[in-house]
Amino acid sequence: MNLARDCLDKQLLDRHGRKMGRVDGLVMELEEGAQPRITFVEVGAVTQAARLHPRLGRFVAALARRWGRAPNDPYRIPWAQVVPTGDDVTVGVEAEATPALAWERWLRAHVVGRIPGA
Amino acid sequence: MKKVFELALGIVTSVGGFLEIGSITTAAQAGALFGYQLVWAIMLGGLCVIFLVEQAGRLAASSRRTIPDAIRERFGFEYYAVLLVVMALVMLLVLGAELGGICIALEFVTGIGYRWWAVPVALVMWLIIWKGTFSFIEQGVSALGLVTVCFIVAAFILHPDWARVAAGALPTLPTHERARYWFIAVSILGASITPYLMFFYSSGAIEDKWDESYLGVNRIIATVGMSFGSVISIAVLVVAALVFLPRGIRMEHYQELARLLTDAFGVWGVRLVAASVGIACLGAALEITLEMAYMIAQGFGWNWSKNQRPIAEARFSLTYTIVVILGALVVVTGIDPLKLTVFSMALTAATLPLAIVPFLFLMNDEHYVGEHGNGWLSNTVVVVIIGLAFVLAVVTIPLEIFGGG
Repeated sequence: MNLARDCLDKQLLDRHGRKMGRVDGLVMELEEGAQPRITFVEVGAVTQAARLHPRLGRFVAALARRWGRAPNDPYRIPWAQVVPTGDDVTVGVEAEATPALAWERWLRAHVVGRIPGA
Repeated sequence: MKKVFELALGIVTSVGGFLEIGSITTAAQAGALFGYQLVWAIMLGGLCVIFLVEQAGRLAASSRRTIPDAIRERFGFEYYAVLLVVMALVMLLVLGAELGGICIALEFVTGIGYRWWAVPVALVMWLIIWKGTFSFIEQGVSALGLVTVCFIVAAFILHPDWARVAAGALPTLPTHERARYWFIAVSILGASITPYLMFFYSSGAIEDKWDESYLGVNRIIATVGMSFGSVISIAVLVVAALVFLPRGIRMEHYQELARLLTDAFGVWGVRLVAASVGIACLGAALEITLEMAYMIAQGFGWNWSKNQRPIAEARFSLTYTIVVILGALVVVTGIDPLKLTVFSMALTAATLPLAIVPFLFLMNDEHYVGEHGNGWLSNTVVVVIIGLAFVLAVVTIPLEIFGGG
């Protein structure tokens, strides 16, 4: 499987098909004498920023520690939970309960949900 | 039968989407300063946008992806981030220009200065997006946009020399004010060929669940809709050439726009200009605002449908809310709306390759479009016109800012 093309930057869906971000990064394990294998997919702003520049990644990580809504950004999903489906990447988790939607939940509760008609 | 209805609706929508403050202003300026000489620029921009919109629909129908979605996936987060930042800055200026256009239309009718209208206009626009569904926004506002047909009626009432109008379809070198001529040509191209229009069209195709069976419908909508839009732009140019040029009105202040239709329609002229500009700009402003939110949501993998309640995707709703506020701020700063319009159109032309080049790669990638990839004609027309617009923009923008030429 050509990972860069088949997985990275694809739409990430949870087990109900809810959009929960994109595959922002892949974590690989290198062992001597064995083929490198993917252990996690990463989602989140820290991974995105680090792809632009490592220093920007560290800066966003510091911001996330201070004001973030998620405890351990970047959020990692074990490769074992990835279900191969055609065009998108589906993972066997409940998006609502994951840090991937931490900001979404916070904004829903504290900002957008308070506007009349939401 | 369903497809016939969708076809008619699509054409009306794309005409409404085509005409906005940029195309009206640049066409009026061209007519006021150079008579029929710049008709070719509108036709060239129109031709390019027919091809691009058709391709945007074809990409969505055959890959089930919007353009930002496919660009992020194929070219990675790094490229997407650069595209997003550049496009967002240009789109924000264009949004400011469109909101300014609505405010100016209100000034024409009420006499109250345009800057006072910025906040109420932004609030009404936000309410339309907050409460409206995608089809309500797309179809309702676009159907009202048909009022811009009054420019075509005006062109016929004023009896132009049609042979000379047709002669303008062939590019000729300017005899006076050379730098101005090329700068207006660039602004016209930037006003016609707008990436946000293609992006929005692809989002609409996904919202309406297009598949390969829509490829024919798509081709007709793109061709007829964009041609009709270009014809209205040419009508604006013709009317300006007949009304402004002989009187020496140079279209350097937006207030001058109010008199565009007075010769043709008398006292109704100002009201028709206001209605046309106001509605066309409202349609464009709604489209730009939504597309900014779509582009961010699609690139970051959020839910993005406008056919659900705001709470269903809080980040998406918050994004367009912030975009509306920023757009209103641009108007409140009091930047001259006419200068803002013309410059943001030229800037659009200068940044075209950033969005169009990766898009062309997608249109030639079997993985996305399968057997419905671009032919040589589609590729050539787009590459040549985008290349021309880019080169002209890079040469003329500095000349316009620093003088000379």
